[in-house]
Amino acid sequence: MPRLEDVLKQGDAARVHELPREGLERLFWKYQGLRKQVERDTAFWQATNETLKTAYERLDEQERELARAYQTIRQDLEIAQQVQHALLPKQFPDMLAQLDLAVHHKQLTEVGGDYYDFFRTRDGHYAIGMFDISGHGVSAALIMAFLKAQFMQTMEQAARPKEIVEWVNQASLGFLREVRRYSTVNFVVFGERAIRYVCGGGYGVLVRGGEIYTFSKGDPFIGLRRRPYTEFELSFDADDLLAMYTDGLVEAKNADGEDYSSRRLNSLIREHAREPVDDILRRCVDDYHEFRRADTDEITLIILRRRVG
Amino acid sequence: MTGDPEPLVHGTLMAGFAQACINLNIVAGPGAAELLADLDVERWYPLRRWFALEQMIGATYQHIDPIRLKLGIEMMSLWYHRGPGHDIIRRGADFLHFQTGSTGIISVIRGPRELVGSFDLREFDAAAGRAVIHSTTPFHRKIESGVLIGGLLAPGDLDYVDVHNDGDPDLLVVEFH
Repeated sequence: MPRLEDVLKQGDAARVHELPREGLERLFWKYQGLRKQVERDTAFWQATNETLKTAYERLDEQERELARAYQTIRQDLEIAQQVQHALLPKQFPDMLAQLDLAVHHKQLTEVGGDYYDFFRTRDGHYAIGMFDISGHGVSAALIMAFLKAQFMQTMEQAARPKEIVEWVNQASLGFLREVRRYSTVNFVVFGERAIRYVCGGGYGVLVRGGEIYTFSKGDPFIGLRRRPYTEFELSFDADDLLAMYTDGLVEAKNADGEDYSSRRLNSLIREHAREPVDDILRRCVDDYHEFRRADTDEITLIILRRRVG
Repeated sequence: MTGDPEPLVHGTLMAGFAQACINLNIVAGPGAAELLADLDVERWYPLRRWFALEQMIGATYQHIDPIRLKLGIEMMSLWYHRGPGHDIIRRGADFLHFQTGSTGIISVIRGPRELVGSFDLREFDAAAGRAVIHSTTPFHRKIESGVLIGGLLAPGDLDYVDVHNDGDPDLLVVEFH
């Protein structure tokens, strides 16, 4: 008579009836054992699946909450973006009568820390300020609003760039230290045939008769320490060109890890200094876009020329 | 006045339970590593640590009994196939004597008798394939049922094993064929 193991191994169902009684009994218990095992496994998997189902439901709910929170943040950011945009300068019509002006300004996210502004000093001269506030996003945008208010207030008190920047630095120092933020400052006041500037970070370059003059920058950032600023003067006559920009542009890297560099930008500006300011600006931005692998910082570039007459 | 000393469980039991949880994916990821971290199979641990482990699993699953049963089975499968079990018992039914003897479950828990309880073989009928165990240990009966099923099935000579209660939660009625 065949053994149960042999019949099962051969898989020949027709031979089952040849099994002895003991073999049939074992077959019965094997079947019952398998049934029990399936029963236990099914109960186990059901228990774990139920928990998985609950976990997925919780996950779904959390995802919905996250989406709602994200939506709120998006809306807040859009409002912040509109506010920041509204804080950027409106050009003075009579300023445009004296200067041809082109601006490229791009924040890294919805809101950011690059800030430029047009002012009119107490004695009626036009001024341009360019600032790069440490950090990015909403916190930097809030500092920008604070600095704008400080400069607006100071314009009523002072006329020279040195006085203006020192005044703002003095007034902002406590607050900026408290929130651990600072800002570069590049502040230019336009005189009749010259500019006077203070440069604590940021970049400035003047092209005059084919020669290039870069801004001397050794002054501290706003919000770091209480120190006198140094004021410089450069001739700026009809047809002369001035460019101001922040570090996001020149510190951008290409695929090989090389900086775009102020040398490259300055020589591009000088090479095309006779062209309309909008064309020079477009050339610079296109060249930057071709060079850089990705934007990693806010970028601001202002190019202006004193009009003839 | 001092209270009763706290019962202790042996590290092998803790590690076996923790490993079974990991094998069955009851606990995964960083939780699994934490479960086994600093578990020394040579040491004795306070019984409350065992309960903390059990509670952690219980808190995760809504229907925990099928999981407890499976954990008990897995623990004994590990003990037999990867531990010393293979050298200790040859046939499934031997496990009943082993587990209810002085080297069985009682050997991995120690402390005052009234807290540690007992695990006694009350009936054993090999021909009928039936045994009755009376358990008063602090372990969950479903885990103990799983341990019995796993231990009896591990040597591979039995075709059928089941454990039920017959109404008394401390009675473990074992059927084996």
